[in-house]
Amino acid sequence: MSPWLVGFSVFFGYPLVMSAYLSFNHYDLLSPPRWVGLANYRYLFTIDPQTWTAVKNTLWLIGVLVPLQVLSAFGLALMLARARQGVGIFRTIFYLPALAPPVAATLGFVFILNPATGPVNTILGHLGINGPLWFQDPSWSKPSLVLLGIWGVGNTMIIFLAAVLDVPRTLYESAALDGAGPLQRLRYVTLPSISPVILFAVILGVIQGLQYFTQAYVAAGVAAGQASQAADVTTASLGYPVDSTLFYPVLLYQHGFVDFQMGYASAMAMFLLAVSFAVTLVIVVNSRRWVHVAAR
Amino acid sequence: MSAVGVTAPLVRRRPPASVRRRRFLVAVANNSVLIAAAIAFLAPFVFILLTALMTNDQALSSKLWPHPFAWHNFVDVFTKAPLWRWTLNTLIYSVLATLGVVVSSVPVAYALARLRWRGRTAAFLVVLVALMLPPQVTVVPLYVMWAKFHPFGFNFIGTLWPVIIPNWFGDAFSIFLLRQFFLTIPEEYLDAARVDGCGELRILTTVVARLAKPAIAAVALFSFLYTFNDFFLPLLYTGEAANHWVLSIGLSEFRSLHQVQWNLTMAATLLVMAPVIVIFFLAQRAFVEGVTLTGVKG
Amino acid sequence: MKRVATAAALLALVAVMAGTASGAGTSRSGPTKLTVWVGWSARELSDFKKLAAEYQKANPSVTLDVVGSINDDKIVAAIRAGTAPDVVSSFNSYDVGVYCGTGAWIDLAPLMKQSGISTSIFPATTNYYTQYNGKKCALPLLADTYGLYYNKAEFAKAGISGPPKTIAQLTADAKKLTIRNPDGSLKQVGIDPFIGFYENVPERWIMAWGGTYTDSKGKAHLATDSAWTKWLTWQKSMIDWYGYNNLVKFQAGLGDEFSASNAFEVGKVAMNLDGEWRVAFIQAEHPSLNYGTAPMPTAIPSLYGSGYVNGTIIGIPKNGKHTQQAWDFVKWITTNTHALAEFSNALRNVPSTTASTHSKELTPDVHFATFLKIFANPKSGTSPIMASGVSYTNAVQDFATKWQAGQVTNLASGLASLDKQLDAQVAQAKGGGVP
Repeated sequence: MSPWLVGFSVFFGYPLVMSAYLSFNHYDLLSPPRWVGLANYRYLFTIDPQTWTAVKNTLWLIGVLVPLQVLSAFGLALMLARARQGVGIFRTIFYLPALAPPVAATLGFVFILNPATGPVNTILGHLGINGPLWFQDPSWSKPSLVLLGIWGVGNTMIIFLAAVLDVPRTLYESAALDGAGPLQRLRYVTLPSISPVILFAVILGVIQGLQYFTQAYVAAGVAAGQASQAADVTTASLGYPVDSTLFYPVLLYQHGFVDFQMGYASAMAMFLLAVSFAVTLVIVVNSRRWVHVAAR
Repeated sequence: MSAVGVTAPLVRRRPPASVRRRRFLVAVANNSVLIAAAIAFLAPFVFILLTALMTNDQALSSKLWPHPFAWHNFVDVFTKAPLWRWTLNTLIYSVLATLGVVVSSVPVAYALARLRWRGRTAAFLVVLVALMLPPQVTVVPLYVMWAKFHPFGFNFIGTLWPVIIPNWFGDAFSIFLLRQFFLTIPEEYLDAARVDGCGELRILTTVVARLAKPAIAAVALFSFLYTFNDFFLPLLYTGEAANHWVLSIGLSEFRSLHQVQWNLTMAATLLVMAPVIVIFFLAQRAFVEGVTLTGVKG
Repeated sequence: MKRVATAAALLALVAVMAGTASGAGTSRSGPTKLTVWVGWSARELSDFKKLAAEYQKANPSVTLDVVGSINDDKIVAAIRAGTAPDVVSSFNSYDVGVYCGTGAWIDLAPLMKQSGISTSIFPATTNYYTQYNGKKCALPLLADTYGLYYNKAEFAKAGISGPPKTIAQLTADAKKLTIRNPDGSLKQVGIDPFIGFYENVPERWIMAWGGTYTDSKGKAHLATDSAWTKWLTWQKSMIDWYGYNNLVKFQAGLGDEFSASNAFEVGKVAMNLDGEWRVAFIQAEHPSLNYGTAPMPTAIPSLYGSGYVNGTIIGIPKNGKHTQQAWDFVKWITTNTHALAEFSNALRNVPSTTASTHSKELTPDVHFATFLKIFANPKSGTSPIMASGVSYTNAVQDFATKWQAGQVTNLASGLASLDKQLDAQVAQAKGGGVP
């Protein structure tokens, strides 16, 4: 146990304390920390015009992506559970995208969804539909990221599949005998039986949403496109287009590791910690109402 | 987990024609949605593959089918970018980190699950908190720490060590998963070993490790996958040290290194996806079991 | 098992660390190795390496290890982590305020005095963007000037005789040179003023209206300097004429700026704001392109002939181990007329000392000559050097992108809050907290 205690204090306890301390300082790593009291927090909440954009973006992501991911994972799992032939093939097809590294998947998606030359809009064009600008349009960039997220839902789907297959047949049969149709069986037998798994998927999704960085960073950088390694400053592409993909972790990265403001980034981190706690607490407390823990 | 029940013997009767027809239509409807979904999920892969086989000009235009098929793109990628070095770096990171996670998480999970000691609940709560903590919260002070720590004049920033080393001190997710699994090991096995005079460590390495093989395999698999695909932490620490880049960073920088030759970028994308997919096909059973384990026991 | 594993890991760690530490090349017999970081890549990088080889031949006691594709992010990260090289170069001066203000790049003034180099051998603008608060922490290494590139073939087709000199002419010409597809999308664009496209950033366009960032006290005054309102209004009217979505879609299908499919080079945009280095790129990639160069059109007639000037800067990070040798190299490459002329010919960048601009070694080029004139024009200006570094101009750029997307409802109040934000950023960077 002792190595773990050492590791815990070094890699978890110490940074937490240090983060709190730094949040009250101005620190750019080039000169020693300078105490500024609540100045960072005041700047974060009242002056930085990007703070609330970042918060709104992250909350939007959690509010839209998580339910959609859970729904699609559950939906796909249901279909797989009911299917008779070729289940293995379908399962593999749905699971494969989840294996793709996030950077590779994002690059692929940004290219495919290129509004001018990408295959998706080309095909839509043949069908007579004027495709949206996807990653180039501030109103479509987050939905595009949501599409990317749903594409990679394989892991959650497998968990749902196992849980759905685990529901005892007898429960279905007794419900059918009582006259329940398929929809009612779904609502009164399947859903309650797998509710712990639903909770697990939701919590996992929320945690990932609060940390969402890689896909937003890569997508914004690639979509901003023409900036390259030469004369221009590429960091202006974070959140492209027009701050629509500026999520809270991305903004934190920008302030801490691009703008030199490590004290300020620590203040942002403390706020993120508080929000993570609050959100997880809300979900767990709420879950008591609808999570049905089966007798084991 | 399965409820115990007594089922009345079912008498199989041929259902009336209308029911049969309805069932058939439902089956087709179900399968058609499945087929449509499968097409939607496969489409991105297909597009990426097609683009990887185009010439640069074709990739920049809205043509859908490569003409001719530029198979040499896959070879070109290796000459244009140090793909092998990136792969090596990624493997070093993933293998060392996975080893560390397994070796350090198993004892801790065991201690949390089976041993009785004071502060056990508190420690478990700490693990839970660490589980849901976004890494961005601890990233700044950790970076500062690594930047200021120079034993023997060695610079940690610019190498992958700051990313690898913390894995040797336990990983919250793995500890959580393993603990849940260890809880299901019947106490009798452990008591029998204790009666035989085994110390806790021996119990761990012999009895528990054997029983928990699927869980440990799952943890190893997940750690490997996660570290193989990791982007944020390597970006932070090796972002400016190109010879230490891992595959995910190399791929994201690929476009600026070669002025967005999309055909090559897509080829590189496929090459980066390939190893993981290959491993999947080889170890399908372990994968699915592992994922199931996470969710069902979690 | 666990203990053995941990011990093995520790041993491996120590072995690797020891190995890497001794391989750092700090104290070895033989020539001193200097690491030089530059922003160039591909063709331009090999040109720099040729120069480095020349220096090495003349100074056998020094070997130069040149690393390319560096940007400010990497420089800053390396300095913060203590892994900075011996000599470092950046493509622009945006972060000079930070480099000099925090001492991340050492003050070169004492070294210059020692070597007998005075700042008067450099043109005035380059002196401005290589110092901050009295500390001269950088020297200019070739400069960049921006002007108008225009496609003569397209001009002839549209019946336009010469390049536009005023904004009104620019607008009219751009509209004449724009060709739309039957479905309404854009096929060819006269000029693309979209902020974020290629070299379009606010600080380059505002030169045409004579706008400035700060008042005499150093406080941001974008709301009160009417140049900004005039420029932003004009810019949005152009974008709305093209159609914002049409323009975005058009841009998504363009080639990368530094590839051979550059939109101007392949004729997709008829006029473009670009730097003097484009001459060399066109020479290498599309030598048959029929084009011309001219100063950017201006809103104020007396400003015509001037432009935006900036340039690559070079300096020595603190905590370097070979300051004297590093300085010898920096001194040579920034003041040696032959080196500058040779480098300028290769890169087609503007030579950065007054002497080298008159060097006989410079190969004359009619397109390039325009930029030499812009560089020498006394009204040419550059970006402000502020304590908050690049975040200053980034904030202005953020605002401009929001404005062109139609997300700013009231321009005047938007600019006023931008001013407040800029000042707060500077105050924060100086460490005094929020005012």
